[in-house]
Amino acid sequence: MSQQPINIQRLSQPVQMPDEIATFSPKVEAEIDRHLAKYPVMRSAILPLMFIVQRERGYLDPPGVSYLAKRLNLRITDIWEVATFYSMLHLKPIGKYHIQVCKTLSCKLLGSDKITQLCVKKLGIKVGEMTADGRFSLSEVECLGSCGTAPMFQINFDYHENLTAEKVDQILESLA
Amino acid sequence: MSTELVKVTINAKDFQVPKGARLIDVCRENQFDIPSFCYYADLALQASCRMCLVRIEKMPKLQTSCTIICTDGMVVTTQSEEIEKARRSMLEFLLANHPLDCPVCDRGGECELQELTFDWGNLEERFIEQKNARAEKYLSPMVANDPQRCILCKRCTRVCDEWMGEDAIEAGNRGANTVIGTYGGWLNCSQCGNCIEVCPTGTLLDGTYRHQARPWELTQTISTCTYCSDGCQMSLGSRGDELMRIVARDRYVNGLNGEFLCIKGRFGHPFVNHEERIRTPLIRYQKGGRLVPATWDEAIRFTAQKLDGIVAARGNNSLAVVGSPRLTNEALYCLRKFAAEVVETENYAVADAFSLKPFFESLGGPLATHQDIRHAKTIVLIGGEPEELQPLTAKQIRQAVRNGGAKLILINSVPIRLREQAAQFIHIRPGTENAAALALAGNADDALAARKMGVEAAELEILRQTISETQGDVVLMFGGELSAEAQAVVAQMPYTFAGEGRRILLHPLALFNNSVGALDLDVNGKSVSDLLDAAGVSIHAMYMAGSLLPEHMPKCGLSKLDFLVVQELFETETTAFADVVFPAASFAEIDGTFTNNDGFVQRVRKSIEPVHQSKPDWLIVSELAKELGVDFGFERSASAVFREIAERIPAYADLRYPLLKDESHPLQVKHAIASKRELAKEIAGIRRAVAELSDDGVKVSETPQVGHELFKLGTLTDKVPQFHLLAAGNPTPASFAISPLYQITIDEGIKREKAVA
Repeated sequence: MSQQPINIQRLSQPVQMPDEIATFSPKVEAEIDRHLAKYPVMRSAILPLMFIVQRERGYLDPPGVSYLAKRLNLRITDIWEVATFYSMLHLKPIGKYHIQVCKTLSCKLLGSDKITQLCVKKLGIKVGEMTADGRFSLSEVECLGSCGTAPMFQINFDYHENLTAEKVDQILESLA
Repeated sequence: MSTELVKVTINAKDFQVPKGARLIDVCRENQFDIPSFCYYADLALQASCRMCLVRIEKMPKLQTSCTIICTDGMVVTTQSEEIEKARRSMLEFLLANHPLDCPVCDRGGECELQELTFDWGNLEERFIEQKNARAEKYLSPMVANDPQRCILCKRCTRVCDEWMGEDAIEAGNRGANTVIGTYGGWLNCSQCGNCIEVCPTGTLLDGTYRHQARPWELTQTISTCTYCSDGCQMSLGSRGDELMRIVARDRYVNGLNGEFLCIKGRFGHPFVNHEERIRTPLIRYQKGGRLVPATWDEAIRFTAQKLDGIVAARGNNSLAVVGSPRLTNEALYCLRKFAAEVVETENYAVADAFSLKPFFESLGGPLATHQDIRHAKTIVLIGGEPEELQPLTAKQIRQAVRNGGAKLILINSVPIRLREQAAQFIHIRPGTENAAALALAGNADDALAARKMGVEAAELEILRQTISETQGDVVLMFGGELSAEAQAVVAQMPYTFAGEGRRILLHPLALFNNSVGALDLDVNGKSVSDLLDAAGVSIHAMYMAGSLLPEHMPKCGLSKLDFLVVQELFETETTAFADVVFPAASFAEIDGTFTNNDGFVQRVRKSIEPVHQSKPDWLIVSELAKELGVDFGFERSASAVFREIAERIPAYADLRYPLLKDESHPLQVKHAIASKRELAKEIAGIRRAVAELSDDGVKVSETPQVGHELFKLGTLTDKVPQFHLLAAGNPTPASFAISPLYQITIDEGIKREKAVA
């Protein structure tokens, strides 16, 4: 019968890792240690650690990913797998303002497509891209739990609800 | 699994099945067809394809039979309108984003998705929405990928993790965007290609066989791998006179390796039809001259005359016969017979990297088969690196630990990748492996052994304790590092650790496909380096089948010989000294047998006709013997040679080709089991040798790179262009969309530079 051991320790890295490994200040290291101490199984700390690395380095760059794999005794593919699952974790550089348009049912029915198109036109980039000046990134995400105020998008950590064409214009203008 | 039985009713029929049996297996064993994609025996469960749905009474919904363990009184229905409807809609979902491009897909014709679509698919597709198109690409020089064909059964990711312990591919993104991939998009793994093998669709494809042939054009021939000593069974797919590909798919072959193969077995075959194969016999009429093509008659006559002359002038023992552990048992037997009965020389040797003779002479218990390793309770590995040298053994160890709960004790000077699975890792100083044999033999020398190995004496105590507390099988494995005396001590361990409810099995990690067979057929076990040292002194001519190993080359003394005959596939460093070269046929072109590490005698079968004018090694020797006046009487059949082996060699008694027909039930050679004997002399010898070792060797702390042995360019793997990319460090190409081989076209340096090294 197949059974998975609970605590898999990945001691080696059969898959090649980026040469460089990120380093952090003692203060950040202490914060990471605090998170690691919380979990009986080390790999459980993957999300808080990813968040810290992303906060410190702007996005999960190759040295940062290497650091996570080494620190958590995980394979580099484990990090990739988790990082790509979440829309708030980025393996590519991300703009100062990350516009995340909700595309799930309620928003879709109330015209999220139009909102996305507006942003595309206004910013001159496609979904999943970043503007050349590094100010804006645009992506479409799944439900953000604000269905009562659809359509909506989230810029970094702020919700912008009951969107209309004018409102989108206004918001983007204020950030540009 | 316990022998307790439970009653299960399937489709109104009662069955008695072992407690703990899986419902899907029980149904299939009893001929109830259950379709499935994600279920794969011996891998972690996934239950994502939902094709194996059945109705179980008293359970609210349809259940996935792959996750259900049979319980007493279970009443199961596998066929009903409800189930059929569920399965049909599941398949419709799976096909929703599938491109349905079977006519241009390499898997078309042997695709599980295609087959189940014939059974459970609807005539028309109801989805008219735009499909989520994804471009095809390469993941590595070996693996091609068409992500849109994927049904996310995740067999590949589970195989990569559980079989290979690499976790090189995983499922990334989520929801409808989920794809199988890797960080950075380029696979830097051991390139075993098992993900390709288990893929039920055309998502992961053999990158070296891309658009080369359709499966139904290929003739499938079951044969044994020609690389390492695991003896994997595989299916050679040939079209006409060309070997197109090698697979281990269940539909073609069911050997000891299941569907497992490593990079060499799966992708290392292009040497067979390579343009550099020696085409005709070659003769160097004058020392220092060129090798000139000749006819077979002329070459045989020339060789016979020369050998006759040298034997007449300098005596029988001035001629040496050297075999290779890559040859079939038949070829090695003919060589031995040639040495003993035709030229009557005592100088016969096999050019192996290390000899297991002392081990087999003291063999105190049976050899462990790969099945035994998988179900062992304790595995002790002294030295060696099976992940790189015997990949199937490494996979069995990994599964024994991960899925079977076995304890692995690793005694190695290098933190090899298997240490992830090790319950105890005894990290020793390089070159002190023999001290491990001392520790196994008893606690008398613990202080000395521990000091030389650079470990705590308590660790050795734990090692002995773990073995003597095991209930079940203990497998003792060792690599080439052990000395003759240490081999003898390990071979006697079944007596040392004998106990109630415990079996001690032995597993030597020989290096070559027929190392064990070559030893079984050896006469007096001379070492090849002794013969090479005597070249020009007492030995003046050599007859060689296969080339010398690189480690024998530097001081080989071949230039001092008056006459050298070599049977080879390619011109090598050895043939550079040869006076006559006979073109030998490769493993794909001959019939024969290999004996693997388990002691299994397995068939090698002819897949294509010998290329150019090459002939099987045993036949060349027989023809030369005939010219020299001794008719072996084998005519043209390898089975006649094998019959004589069975008659003359006690360990092979009663074996015949017809008995070796079924690759799923291989037969083991009956190696003589030595009785228990006093080991004081050996132990004293090891103690002396160990005492002379230094106390301050530096331990290796780095885990070696994947492929440091697997990707090495040998005579055979050098002929595979993809291996050159891997040997050059598998550089990430600028474009994943076209064949990675284009890198060789733009940068020839990748190829040439490494080929020399």
